[in-house]
Amino acid sequence: MKGFKPSAPFLLLLPAMIVLAAVVVVPLLLSLYSSFTPFRLTRPETFYVFIGIRNYLSILSNTDFWWAFGRTVLLLTIALNLEMLLGLGLAMLVEKATRGQRILRTLMMFPMMFSPILVGFQFKFMFNDNIGLVNNALQSLGITRDAIPWLIEGHLAFIAISIAEIWSSTAIFAILILAGLLAMPKEPIEAARVDGCTPWQTFRYVTWPFVMPFAYIAMTIRSLDVARAYDIVKIMTDGGPAGRTELLWTLVARTAYSDGRMGMANAMAYFSILLSIAFTVYFFNKLAAARTQIGAEW
Amino acid sequence: MDENSSARLKRRLLGIIYRIGLFLAMLTICLPGLWIVLSSLRPTVEIMAKPPVWIPQEISFDAYVAMFSGIGKGGIPVIEYFRNSLIISVTSTVIAVAIGMAGGYAFARYRFRGKSSVFLGLMLTRTVPGIALSLPLFFLYVRLGIIDTHFGLILAYVALNVPFTIWLIDGFFRQVPKDLAEAAQIDGCTRWQAFWQVEFPLAGPGIASAAIFAFLTCWNEFALASQLTRSVSAKTLPVGLLDYTAEFTIDWRGMCALAVVMIIPALTLTYIVQKHLVGGLTSGAVKG
Repeated sequence: MKGFKPSAPFLLLLPAMIVLAAVVVVPLLLSLYSSFTPFRLTRPETFYVFIGIRNYLSILSNTDFWWAFGRTVLLLTIALNLEMLLGLGLAMLVEKATRGQRILRTLMMFPMMFSPILVGFQFKFMFNDNIGLVNNALQSLGITRDAIPWLIEGHLAFIAISIAEIWSSTAIFAILILAGLLAMPKEPIEAARVDGCTPWQTFRYVTWPFVMPFAYIAMTIRSLDVARAYDIVKIMTDGGPAGRTELLWTLVARTAYSDGRMGMANAMAYFSILLSIAFTVYFFNKLAAARTQIGAEW
Repeated sequence: MDENSSARLKRRLLGIIYRIGLFLAMLTICLPGLWIVLSSLRPTVEIMAKPPVWIPQEISFDAYVAMFSGIGKGGIPVIEYFRNSLIISVTSTVIAVAIGMAGGYAFARYRFRGKSSVFLGLMLTRTVPGIALSLPLFFLYVRLGIIDTHFGLILAYVALNVPFTIWLIDGFFRQVPKDLAEAAQIDGCTRWQAFWQVEFPLAGPGIASAAIFAFLTCWNEFALASQLTRSVSAKTLPVGLLDYTAEFTIDWRGMCALAVVMIIPALTLTYIVQKHLVGGLTSGAVKG
């Protein structure tokens, strides 16, 4: 048996490799190729015309694309940071609860069960300017007399989308950070208190370093599907009004399926793939570092 | 004395603030969902009313009845969508878990060169945004003639789920002490037997929750499904939800009802697995 040892994990991983190669890697190579062609769905013969990096060059000078790119990065920055902060806050609130913690934990996970498409729909309903819960509540409370055009005005629509995104993903941070808080030994905190640390110092130098790996796990999981936002945007505004909430992903979909410009869309898609990969690699490294820091085996 | 009572007052005040904060947080989390449930039970007139009607005057299940009574009445073929969703999700989950078990076992039990880069590589395949992946898949599927079929979507979902399933199952196998399987092997089991009779039963609950997680991913997936399916023969529920918006006016009540139908299986399943899920994801964060 000993001689075969190196090949055992290889054999075990083989099915995974085959499936991923067939459904992800090969198609991506194909799309890489087609990003160098003027391929249009309506004219199949254009698939064999090679135009070099012309698609990429025209993307570089495409302002719509850069707006979408910037907006995507902005949304991710705002959303991920707020999710982290709110998740931390929520986890600490729930951890402090003396009674009914199990129920609180279940309630906290509630948004995780909603598929992004449902989240989008639900917030589209709530932010509807005419019959939505938000406007109705604001008007009934007398805060505003006129209906606020949440999904019709560009900036407000962006805020509404951010809220939907944050609502749906804070739970992941909260639940993992809570797991960290619960797994944490109590002695160091007591020792810190005896030594005269303020609550803030205790949190900053004792609790946070311990919880950090858990936060990075949450970040890594989130970065695996940052593109969930596509579903939310697609149903809430579909990139509108007038492209003011267009993200990279909705722009790719529109270019490919509505305009039928597959070659161009594939070139754009590569930017969004690189963005996702950058996120994941960054947090994966952070996670590995945080793990070794507290002496865990990887 | 005075210091004592002011400290007590402060503590009580903090307690009240804490309660209010917790209550507001939970309200924010639950309200959107509850609002959907409530709206699905109210007549459309009440949803549309201006000024708003806060307290429902009558509760009815009309929306659900209409939805399940066929294409003519409910507007969209929910039953077919439901069936498609179920077939696709279950099949791809079973396959993904089988592949994930092999992969997870390899990561948990063997040391090999480039282990962490292989792991990262697997994860990276998961990061490709669904919509970016859908472009080449759409093209390939059209060529192969498997567009708008169950098979095509199942294949895509297996690949979508394998990386994360491996991550989870790897974590669960790590929680099973190595010594147990080794003891079984010393007692004369082959490695294969040791796996099925010792390690598999111990990691079982974890694997089940990985399966449920994979199921939910399929059940909820939209970006790929919306491009790789077109007709009643393969459309899934999330794609079906869009049928309501495609029309000139939005049938809010019907949409709410369909949303509730989608969320109930997800709700039940997540509730069942919540404990194991967190355990699997965080294993190795504290101790190896």
